[in-house]
Amino acid sequence: MSSQITLTSSDGVDISVDRTVAERSILIKNMLEDLGDSGEAIPIPNVNEAVLKKVIEWCEHHKNDPVTATDDDDNRRKTTDIDEWDQKFMQVDQEMLFEIILAANYLDIKALLDVGCKTVANMIKGKSPEEIRKTFNIQNDFTPEEEDQIRRENEWAEE
Amino acid sequence: MAPAMLQTPHKDDLTETWAFLEGGIDSVMLKLEEGVDMKTYMALYTAVHNFCTSQKAVSSYHGLQAHRGAHLLGEELYKLLGEYLSRHLQVVLQHSKGHAEESLLGFYIREWTRFTTAAKYVNHLFSYLNRHWVKREIDEGKKNVYDVYTLHLVRWKDEFFENVHEKVMDAVLNLIEKQRNGETIEQSQIKSIVDSFVSLGLDENDSKRSTLEVYRQYFQRPFIAATRTYYENESRQFVAENSVVEYMKKAESRLDEEKARVGLYLHPDVAKDLTETCLDVLVAAHSTLLRDEFQVLLDNERQEDLARIYRLLSRISDGLEPLRSTFESHVKRAGLAAVAKVASDSENFEPKVYVDALLQVHTRYQNLVNDAFNGDSDFVRSLDNACREFVNRNRVCQESSTKSPELLARYTDSLLKKGSKAAEESELEDMLVQIMTVFKYIEDKDVYQKFYSKMLAKRLVHVSSVSDDAETSMISKLKEACGFEYTNKLQRMFQDIQISKDLNASYKDWQDKVLDDDDRKRLVDAHYQILGTGFWPLQAPTSDFTAPIEINRTAERFSKFYFDKHNGRKLTWLWQLCKGEVKANYVKNAKVPYTFQVSTYQMGILLLFNEADTLSYTDIQAATNLVPELLDPNLSIFLKARVLTISPEGAKPDPSATFSLNYNFKNKKLKVNLNIQIKSEQKVETDDTHKTIEEDRKLLLQSAIVRIMKSRKKMRHVQLVNEVIQQVKSRFPPQVSDIKKNIEALMEKDYIERLDGDEISYIA
Repeated sequence: MSSQITLTSSDGVDISVDRTVAERSILIKNMLEDLGDSGEAIPIPNVNEAVLKKVIEWCEHHKNDPVTATDDDDNRRKTTDIDEWDQKFMQVDQEMLFEIILAANYLDIKALLDVGCKTVANMIKGKSPEEIRKTFNIQNDFTPEEEDQIRRENEWAEE
Repeated sequence: MAPAMLQTPHKDDLTETWAFLEGGIDSVMLKLEEGVDMKTYMALYTAVHNFCTSQKAVSSYHGLQAHRGAHLLGEELYKLLGEYLSRHLQVVLQHSKGHAEESLLGFYIREWTRFTTAAKYVNHLFSYLNRHWVKREIDEGKKNVYDVYTLHLVRWKDEFFENVHEKVMDAVLNLIEKQRNGETIEQSQIKSIVDSFVSLGLDENDSKRSTLEVYRQYFQRPFIAATRTYYENESRQFVAENSVVEYMKKAESRLDEEKARVGLYLHPDVAKDLTETCLDVLVAAHSTLLRDEFQVLLDNERQEDLARIYRLLSRISDGLEPLRSTFESHVKRAGLAAVAKVASDSENFEPKVYVDALLQVHTRYQNLVNDAFNGDSDFVRSLDNACREFVNRNRVCQESSTKSPELLARYTDSLLKKGSKAAEESELEDMLVQIMTVFKYIEDKDVYQKFYSKMLAKRLVHVSSVSDDAETSMISKLKEACGFEYTNKLQRMFQDIQISKDLNASYKDWQDKVLDDDDRKRLVDAHYQILGTGFWPLQAPTSDFTAPIEINRTAERFSKFYFDKHNGRKLTWLWQLCKGEVKANYVKNAKVPYTFQVSTYQMGILLLFNEADTLSYTDIQAATNLVPELLDPNLSIFLKARVLTISPEGAKPDPSATFSLNYNFKNKKLKVNLNIQIKSEQKVETDDTHKTIEEDRKLLLQSAIVRIMKSRKKMRHVQLVNEVIQQVKSRFPPQVSDIKKNIEALMEKDYIERLDGDEISYIA
């Protein structure tokens, strides 16, 4: 059942992986369904080796998770709780974190995308705009007047 | 596929991206059989992904929609894809024009399969667009935006289906007609068309759900219409050329065939409409014809065809009602005819013949109801109605409706009396069950009760029951049918006989203690039955009677014993029911003396001849005190049996005659039964019974009236009459005029009084 397939990263590295693990990606799953497993390596043009390995590591760990059928699983989405393994897994530099999120989006791995987004959300939580700008290295492009107006409009949200 | 395609296009460039995608879609849509390799597949997916995530495109919308957060790209791709599909389908449509009938079906199915297979691929290739842009549009309630697969179906429907469905359906209907005409067709083609039509039913409000709208409108509707026309024509023609029975067979097989058709290649949704249409055209439209045939089939007892007609008409609404009334009058006629035949075959038929005739008709039609009409409860009711009619109102009952219960009671008696022909106990039980079948239909149940109790009394008094078990069984059946009150007296009669047995035993003990030797010598061996006056339908003797001295002594001794035990009771000797045996020691040439079985009256006469060989009529009358009505027939019996001779010879018993003992008496049997029922007695008895019935009914009505008025105090006249009918109808069907008469009678007796208007009041 668990046959091996090969994925080729954007930088040309072949990585062998269990088909069941790879099928955590709906993209790969659909393609294998449509074309059948010809034994050819599957090119993944948008993901480099380092990120792809990281993604496979995550899929490997989660290969036995039940596949959540609906994407609007509210409970899962609303909490920012992340299980311990995933938290450790996401302790990477910011650039890698965003690469993982992009790859999850591209490969259509919903659960991984969620974990990535929650991690970013937790990085924002409890921080002032200034701190957030600093964390993500964002330039403030508001004029002081604009900033004032936005603050007034959102007063209700502050404590 | 050109190698150039492997090169992913620039993500910001719509033209380049679309050109790349179009090439890919082309190969999926037009030559999928050549296969798509993984590189191409991934490149196409990636191109869609990259275009939708490109930064540059964002800026062009930024100002407009900044307030709803990140803008999602894809609208252009979606539009271009839609246009591509339209172009493709226009080409398909052009090609379709070269096809007709079955070839068109083949073409439609081929193109449909190709198109939907491709749609599945393209849907996957564009899944990034589905997940983001399309999802957002749908979430925001945009109409006319569908996921990519559904977009394919929508285009197919709008661009192609709308233009060909009529021709396609024509071909389908022609094919089905061929099959109905007996040809073999390619059923799978129709199945594929059905599936395609069903797939095209999209819910406007929720693209993920499908409805049967398209299928119903474009397939079901013309199909049902064609079916109707086809069977209208076929049945009209068939009926004109064939018998009704043949037509029914045809209709049934057509109905089965159409039902099977649904399973073979139609959508189950059509089943109800199709069946209804077929029933309407094949059955309802010809129902008059079928109903007319029903009577013919009944007359000829064509059970199988009757079952067929029942099955057919049971499937249309109100189809059976006319059959039921036809059936009811048919059964009634059959019952009346059977009784008329019994009545005309012989003047004095046996009760058995009559009851058998009733049962035979009932059994025949009950079997018909069970076998042909599926035990349908409405037909059971019709059968019951018909039976009730012919059991209570037939030729035999012309003079009086009480004839039926009387005959039934007589038949029951003939079964329960010793010497009946039903030897086997189980057989007897079956016959009793059959009696209850007829009993159920008897309206004058009180008449049956009356006759039954008379005959039971006789069986018990004369110890002539076939068995106690059979008697008990019959009583419990009646109790089950009519309740405790109905059988109360019957049961008490039974008890009296048991008590009498014990009483005789203790009388014997008493005798052993009290009698002296002299008494013992003249002792008459006797058995006594004490019958409670209130329970037994017996009257005191109509004639005076001086019992012979021997009997009298015995009777007095028993009375003494009885009054010692039960002080204050009154005993009335029912001499007319007593019997005994006397030995004829006087007869010459008889080695063993003859024994005569005689009634007590006869004994009274015979014993007189112990003192004299010849006695005059007046002597006998004076000694016995019997009225001539009893004396004469009994003397006649003795003369006929040649126990006595008369002088002058050949005379009838009258006051001028004298009688002598015949010493030369001869008989083949040693025991001679002279205790024969006298004909006139039997007739009188029957008349009496009918008279007491009238009397009892009056009492029953009056007690019902009093009972009702006592509980209601005040009541309107009409209401009272209705209540009385309700209360007594289980016994007999009362006449309103009788009820009124009895109300009047009770007013005269001051039980009730008339108030103003129509009201009646109880007088406490």
